[in-house]
Amino acid sequence: MSSSPRSRSARPAIFALAIVALIVGVSLLLLAVGVNVLHIGDTFVAGLFPPVAVTQQGAKIRDLYTIVFLIAVAIFVVVEALIIWSVVRYRRKPGDDTLPPQTHGNNIAEFVWTIVPTLIVIFMFFVSWDTLNAVDTSAADAQTTKITAQAGQFQWQFDYIGPDGKTVVYTEFLPLVSQGGGMMVPAGRTVQLSLVSHDVIHAFYVPQFLFKRDVIPGRTNQFDFTVDAADAGQTFRGQCAELCGSGHSIMLFEVKALAPADFDKWLADKAAAATASPAPAPSGSPGSSSAPAPSGNPGASSAPAPSQGATGPTLQVTASGIQYVEKTLTAPANTPFQIVFDNQDPGTPHNVSIHKDSPTGEEVFKGEVFPGVAKKTYDVPALAAGTYGYVCTVHPTMTGTLTVQ
Amino acid sequence: MATTTLTPAATNSRSALYEWLTTTDHKKIGILYIVNSFVFFFIGGVFALGVRTELAQPGLQFFNDQTYNELFSMHGTIMIFLFVIPMLAGFGNYVVPLQIGAPDMAFPRINALSLWMLPLAGILLLLGFVTGGTAAAGWTSYAPLSENRPLSAVGHGQDLWILALVLIGTSSILGAINFLVTIFKMRAPGMTLFRMPILVWTVLVTAVLVLMATPVITSVLIMLFIDRNYGGSFFDPIARGGDAILYQNIFWFYSHPAVYVMVLPAMGMISEILPVFSRKPLFGYKAFIFATAAIGALGFSVWAHHMFTTGAVYLPFFSIMTFLIAVPTGVKMFNWVFTLWRGQLMLKTPLLFALGFLSMFLIGGIDGAMSASVPVDFALHDTYWVVSHLHYVLFGGSVFGIMAGLYYWFPKMTGKMMNETVGKAQFVLMFIGFNLTFFPMHELGLAGMPRRIADYSSTAGWNDLNLLATIGGFTIAASMTLLLWNLAISLRSGAPAGDDPWEGNTLEWATSSPPPPYNFDHLPEIRSERPLFDLRHGRTAEH
Repeated sequence: MSSSPRSRSARPAIFALAIVALIVGVSLLLLAVGVNVLHIGDTFVAGLFPPVAVTQQGAKIRDLYTIVFLIAVAIFVVVEALIIWSVVRYRRKPGDDTLPPQTHGNNIAEFVWTIVPTLIVIFMFFVSWDTLNAVDTSAADAQTTKITAQAGQFQWQFDYIGPDGKTVVYTEFLPLVSQGGGMMVPAGRTVQLSLVSHDVIHAFYVPQFLFKRDVIPGRTNQFDFTVDAADAGQTFRGQCAELCGSGHSIMLFEVKALAPADFDKWLADKAAAATASPAPAPSGSPGSSSAPAPSGNPGASSAPAPSQGATGPTLQVTASGIQYVEKTLTAPANTPFQIVFDNQDPGTPHNVSIHKDSPTGEEVFKGEVFPGVAKKTYDVPALAAGTYGYVCTVHPTMTGTLTVQ
Repeated sequence: MATTTLTPAATNSRSALYEWLTTTDHKKIGILYIVNSFVFFFIGGVFALGVRTELAQPGLQFFNDQTYNELFSMHGTIMIFLFVIPMLAGFGNYVVPLQIGAPDMAFPRINALSLWMLPLAGILLLLGFVTGGTAAAGWTSYAPLSENRPLSAVGHGQDLWILALVLIGTSSILGAINFLVTIFKMRAPGMTLFRMPILVWTVLVTAVLVLMATPVITSVLIMLFIDRNYGGSFFDPIARGGDAILYQNIFWFYSHPAVYVMVLPAMGMISEILPVFSRKPLFGYKAFIFATAAIGALGFSVWAHHMFTTGAVYLPFFSIMTFLIAVPTGVKMFNWVFTLWRGQLMLKTPLLFALGFLSMFLIGGIDGAMSASVPVDFALHDTYWVVSHLHYVLFGGSVFGIMAGLYYWFPKMTGKMMNETVGKAQFVLMFIGFNLTFFPMHELGLAGMPRRIADYSSTAGWNDLNLLATIGGFTIAASMTLLLWNLAISLRSGAPAGDDPWEGNTLEWATSSPPPPYNFDHLPEIRSERPLFDLRHGRTAEH
């Protein structure tokens, strides 16, 4: 680089000082009117990092992110400072028509800024590879809990694999803890999650795991994770991260970490209940007749159907293509009645839950969720006259109107 | 249509409309490309505002999920295939023959054909709105969601999308052949390859990328069309035993190089503007050319970094190649910065947009290197962080470059200067709006917000950042109304530009503004990549 000395001017320094003064001034002004600038600054900086990881694998990814991010910030600051400095220092002064030195290039400089970035990215590649090998491995042993997450438009279900490593001992059809479902995992123990899709591509994503993996029809993906023992009792939000159609944004699920002993007891209870009432029973499986019991799954001890004598009509409801075939139903007031629910969607879980006024109103009855193709009969308690909405708990877009008169 | 506009008096000279519709003049075709691209830019921008408006607050206020999916699918498709790519082809069309001292493109009638396929493709694409819904599977249209099956792409919209993209692809291929022949066969005497302006070099590399990659996406589109309409079984694993990952491999084999198709010519434009407004030659002219070629070559070996989370790619290879492509990009960045260094910067609107390009593309590029780290990508993939990254590259890079180019070459195209004050105001507003829209998306993605969701929970902690991004989106829209205003007043009453308002370096400034149909009365001697500088100041030493 040839150089010709230029008179240094004080203007860049004044310019920089003015900007600093402006920022400080605005901040003080905001503080004066009660806006906590420091808090906003903290939130901004914290937001540049992923959430604190709740899995051992996620913690490694977060450490790697921090390294990569700090390198990125350093490069940004250096280059951006060079740009701003050049603009401020070398802008044309009015009336100054001298031609600047006509520098065509410098091979040493080109060499340096080829080699140094190469070394930086090769370093980033190796630290990344190291972390990849640590987080994306499978070390399944006898202690490993095996779960299969099945994704379909637009819901998740979770199959818990028994000690033999093959048999499904319990299937949870409801993806959210608030629905009485969710994916339960033992904190501190490694979980091997298999991912299966029935239709299009989905992605299993839990932000606090700092991890996602695609759920692809025609292939089974797998990954291991270990929730920290300290996080037992916590619930983590998850959702589909690969566009899967018109219900993509509602394809939510939750992962709840339990202490290992609690998890074992929970799974044993669920497995026993599932054995007691085998899933696609031809009919008569109780829809837990009255009050919203702990919900979702019928008690093992088929409570005697209430007041069988006063049974009203039997209504037919069919689900096909994630829609109810019957969009309107009519039932007599103050008389228990039955719904024969025919789920025609292979592998897809549905139910009928009845809500006051509209499908989003207060729930007055919730039928058992079960996958197709199968048929079950729900015993619905007596309802007061009025309009009700019915909806599939798994698919909020499946709705119909029930008139009780 | 043209005949109806003819009047007896027009028999001697055809009407202006007829002239524009039938022109084979590369300059008029270039301007038509640019106008057509701006029309689609505003249509795609309206869709983007629809997306931002829906996301401003949790809850579905304006659209349902399906319509929302159509909006962002059309936004992405239009911005990529009907705005950025044709816009840069338009600038290439206008500027390249002038910069190499040629009277026109090599195949003027094929050039007109390439142009007119684009509005036709755009109309086909948008026809989905009146035939029961447009394509709604994203601009990527991953199979099996784009297959003709329940809860997926059952309507005609997806077929129209395929037809439109095949047409645009054909237009690109014809254009690429035209550029290659023009650049190799029609250079003026003395214009050796290593005296060509950098814009010509970037268009050359882009044309090679287009020629090698576009037939590949055309093949995947035809396969999808067969799947959808004739019972093919390429990509639907459940119903017919196809392979969903195959689609992604072929799609990205084109669509990653397409990113360079969308950014290399913008880099070329920046590389014309920075030297002129610094009054210095481009620092490291040859290094810059080699870096461009390296990006083009490496660009074909990084496609699967879009597929890190599929569990179906060899991760280390695509990771290291993606890291390595940052190196030639970094070389360019340093060459640009050291072009400014010790210069005499004239802070006119074209330079402001070029500086915006440098700063914003810097962030986009660094983001790219961050997500080359596979485990980091496990966290960031398909979240708003990626939306941020791609907009820092394609808006912060390409669109800022396009604006710089527009303000730089508008005087040549029209003979009139654009208004500097309105131009600077547009820059400031666009720069603020852009960062307000897209920087918060980094944080949204890190906080776990996936892309392409129509709605989100009010308890997820994403409310403030989404609102901020929506405010930013409307700020960008405001800056675009300033652009329209500036175009209108400058076309009507802009100051006369003269042949060479910026003291340019390259041959287009050696002819009148606008140039005559045959471009040049006479050419100056070409002894370096800056023939006009040499004319003004005499030659300077090579080193």
